[in-house]
Amino acid sequence: MLMREALAALAACAWLAGCAGPAREAGALGGDPGRGAMLIVRYGCAGCHEIPGIGAARGEVGPPLDGMGERVFIAGRVPNTPANLSRWVRRAQDVLPGGAMPNIDMGEQDSRDIAAYLHTLR
Amino acid sequence: MPKLSSRLQVPGLGFLAGAVALVSCAPASQAQRQADASVERGRRLVGQFACGSCHQIPGVLGADGTVGPPLRGLARRSAIAGLLDNTPENLTSFIRLPQSVVKGGVMPDMGLTEAEAADAAAYLLSRS
Amino acid sequence: MADQGDTRGEHRRRRLADGAACYLAGVVTVIALGLAIVATGAFDVSASAPHIRVVGWALRTTMVNSVKARAEPLPLEAPLDPAQVRAGFRIYDRECAPCHGGPGVPRDRWVSGLIPTPPYLIDASRRWTPGELFWIVRHGVKMTAMPAWCVQRSDAELKSVTAFLVALPALTPEAYARLRAAEAAPPAAEAPPPSSC
Repeated sequence: MLMREALAALAACAWLAGCAGPAREAGALGGDPGRGAMLIVRYGCAGCHEIPGIGAARGEVGPPLDGMGERVFIAGRVPNTPANLSRWVRRAQDVLPGGAMPNIDMGEQDSRDIAAYLHTLR
Repeated sequence: MPKLSSRLQVPGLGFLAGAVALVSCAPASQAQRQADASVERGRRLVGQFACGSCHQIPGVLGADGTVGPPLRGLARRSAIAGLLDNTPENLTSFIRLPQSVVKGGVMPDMGLTEAEAADAAAYLLSRS
Repeated sequence: MADQGDTRGEHRRRRLADGAACYLAGVVTVIALGLAIVATGAFDVSASAPHIRVVGWALRTTMVNSVKARAEPLPLEAPLDPAQVRAGFRIYDRECAPCHGGPGVPRDRWVSGLIPTPPYLIDASRRWTPGELFWIVRHGVKMTAMPAWCVQRSDAELKSVTAFLVALPALTPEAYARLRAAEAAPPAAEAPPPSSC
């Protein structure tokens, strides 16, 4: 029973995520990539990550974020959907407890915008 | 300084050039040779174990996977998988048993021996 | 004047003859070189050592272009049919995972002795269209260990495997493990269908 529902949900988002990558769904969540780029600077993501399109972002604590629009998994744990990436950006400790990436005090919309920007990176 | 007589200048320069060549091409130390061999074995292993089907890896033909992060500049990163300090020992452990670091993660325990994991780590750390 | 014309004509004919001889010598040399490589064992076929880069590149690029030239579009339901994906999983987990692994699922160790190495397929549906994936699964790839699965699987079954591959990027390791647990009992042995190749 649960398996069938799980498979149905999987199939529904897999068609989008598997074929077209996460970018197509980004609009559905209402993330603004332009605003996201500005927020990346504000929240200091550059301190740990190298991020294309963000001039000062040359951090080397975490992995480079080029190609995040095509990356299949986030932190090797969860599929890279707009919802998952938003959640990761805001509450990384919930996804990877004890990891180097902290929870960041930001509203949900901010995390959606940042995720939307990252999903433009190919 | 007295100028070398013109008859001695050419052989003198030749001697100097020869000495420089010998010094710069001196056989590498044992440790260096072992390190180089490890990096070369690591490059082969990275190909054999299909790491490139999940990661972009410099120097490995066809390594353009997008499942995990790109592995270029690994030596400069502070953390491995966001969880471990980036040391050769930790990278070796992670490559050998990633599930022990990220349980339930997408990177499987692929059955490399300790030595193989160390060689693979050496290769990855050698590529900036 | 008649002499001059003749000399020019002879000169042209001689140049043509020289060119043809050169060309023929070139062709013969290439054939001889090829035969020498084939006959003398000069080429190292061991799979314990990798290809030299240019050979590896040539083989890989040839494969990609060959598949793209032959594959036909494969329409899949959108969104995917869960029953089809699940049927594909059953086949994939038993027949494909040993060589191609899965999310959190390793390949068998001996597979690392294959050249070319079978890739993990987690992002395969991002780099190949469904039609191309179906073509590869159905026809296999010469000079690799990838079989032509049409030898023992119907088109419908191979389409379900393709649907599973399209779903795979969204499948967490946990979900894969749950699917495995749910399918633990192997189905009753069935006579394989006739080849659909």
